Amino acid sequence: MLKVPLSVDERWNLIDRISKQTVEFGARKHTLKDAIAELTVKPLTGIPVAIAVLYGFWSFFVDFAGTLFTDGFMVRLFDEHWLPWLQSVFPGGLGNPFYALMVDAGHIENGVLVASDNCLESFGVLTSGFFVPFGVVLWAVLAFYLMFALLEDVGYLPRLAVLVDTVLHKIGLHGYAIVPTFLALGCNIPGVTATRPLETRKQRFLMITLLSVFVPCGAQIGIMQDLVPELMGWIFLTLVIGYLGFGFILNKIVPGKSPEIIMDVPPYRMPMMKNIVSKLWIRTSRFLLVAVPFVLLGCLIVGLMYLTGAMDWLATVLGSFLMSWFGVPGETVSPLIAGFLRKDLAVGVLGGLMEQGIMTTFQVFTSVVLLCIYFPCLATFALMLKEENWKEFLGSIASLVAMVLVYGGLIHLVGVMLGVA
Amino acid sequence: MGHPNVGKSVFFNRLTGAKVFESNYPGTTVDFTKGWMHLGGEDVELIDVPGAFSLEPKDLAEEVAVKMLEENRDSVVICVLDATKVERGLYLALEIIERGYPVVVALNMWDVAEDKNIRIDVEKLERILGVPVVPTIAISGEGFKELVSKIKEATPVKIEKIIENAGGVESAAVSG
Repeated sequence: MLKVPLSVDERWNLIDRISKQTVEFGARKHTLKDAIAELTVKPLTGIPVAIAVLYGFWSFFVDFAGTLFTDGFMVRLFDEHWLPWLQSVFPGGLGNPFYALMVDAGHIENGVLVASDNCLESFGVLTSGFFVPFGVVLWAVLAFYLMFALLEDVGYLPRLAVLVDTVLHKIGLHGYAIVPTFLALGCNIPGVTATRPLETRKQRFLMITLLSVFVPCGAQIGIMQDLVPELMGWIFLTLVIGYLGFGFILNKIVPGKSPEIIMDVPPYRMPMMKNIVSKLWIRTSRFLLVAVPFVLLGCLIVGLMYLTGAMDWLATVLGSFLMSWFGVPGETVSPLIAGFLRKDLAVGVLGGLMEQGIMTTFQVFTSVVLLCIYFPCLATFALMLKEENWKEFLGSIASLVAMVLVYGGLIHLVGVMLGVA
Repeated sequence: MGHPNVGKSVFFNRLTGAKVFESNYPGTTVDFTKGWMHLGGEDVELIDVPGAFSLEPKDLAEEVAVKMLEENRDSVVICVLDATKVERGLYLALEIIERGYPVVVALNMWDVAEDKNIRIDVEKLERILGVPVVPTIAISGEGFKELVSKIKEATPVKIEKIIENAGGVESAAVSG
């Protein structure tokens, strides 16, 4: 008598007999599509193609978001019109606490409180709080997701995964890790959820931990590119080394298996306008709905901490530790505080400090890297709690603390040895 | 249900008018989404699930898919197959049929199969399986009208019947 369900062999046996009667494979022609597909996965041609694709991606990101929209239009709009207008009509004026919170906190120059002349320095909810998301980040997010949707729909990502497979194997990950990593470059949240197709808990743990520490989100990249374009190469290099290096170490010490995952490489397809537009719209509106309130809230909190003196107190308390361990001034606490809520805001706050000229280039570099790695934003943190079990979550936090201390200290040390710190 | 990257989310969006992410790589959908579609004058709930290779889940995304199947015992299952990889798609479809679900099989990416010179005898496949089989091209919407009209025709099929239709008595030897 036949047992139901069938055994695996019985099922395949049956399928074999069904397909023999119904499916017929004709001669395959080698098409142009196949030729392109091969060119992009064979290392000799695939690596140059990958470099070209990523370079194109980056150039578009910089030119479209940075040069065209932010520098060409938004900076002027905010600094030359919005800020002066608010400074002239908002009640209170310089020195008034409410005015400081909403419009311009000003800064001390030669013992005198002077007004700010740009929307990063002013640090008001209505000025910096709007400039960061709408002046800078929105355009970065748009540019990123437009290019990303194209890569997704063409089917290039799995090819990139095949190319980097060997390298990622060395750190206990699989080529598939390229998908969550790339998604995380837009926003860490979808990056973390995209780890679900990974097979073992170990792989997921490694991926989530590395993502939340070493992968900056699109919002953050956008504002970093705006503030310190000349340092971007070094920043990315430092993050990539950290990602691979700590991945390697974590893979050695975390128990569990990291088996091969077999991923299908889909055929190349012509992307459809409708789908691109719809994805762009969903992702951008999600950014506006989720991120903007956090930016405004963060702005308010940081402003209040300055007004009440809490920030100065923290800067004094943590100053010597920050200076001796990481080589950055105590003032860095304010962007670090803002970064708990939003990384883009944090970099914006750092930009305000840079305007005051209290940091050396290397300190700026160290601070930007620290801002990337010290803590995932609150939203990502909450998601990690949901996606990992308690043990893994504590493990992620412990690794995070260890990585920040070790890597941050190491960067400082390298700086000292090179004589730039 | 279906393997990763066969177009389940495109089906879902077309049938419900919802906006679930569609991308050209496996693993785009990692959670389920519920939506409503019209079926013969009434609204019917449709669930989009992550891709799964079999009903023995190997990862969290597959777990979600299998759990959704188990929680909805009285549903009709649309099995989306990649028409260029019919055999392995059938594996999952047979598993679902064996568990007693009424199934409609969609042979998606029919255009790609044609490009690759793969010919499938739909009528014969339908006769053997005893369930509706519809060739579809999800991104352009071809075959969807037929697919929807056949959802109501789906009835549970006994696996013995399929084995008999496939002309196999070989199973007697295998199953002892």
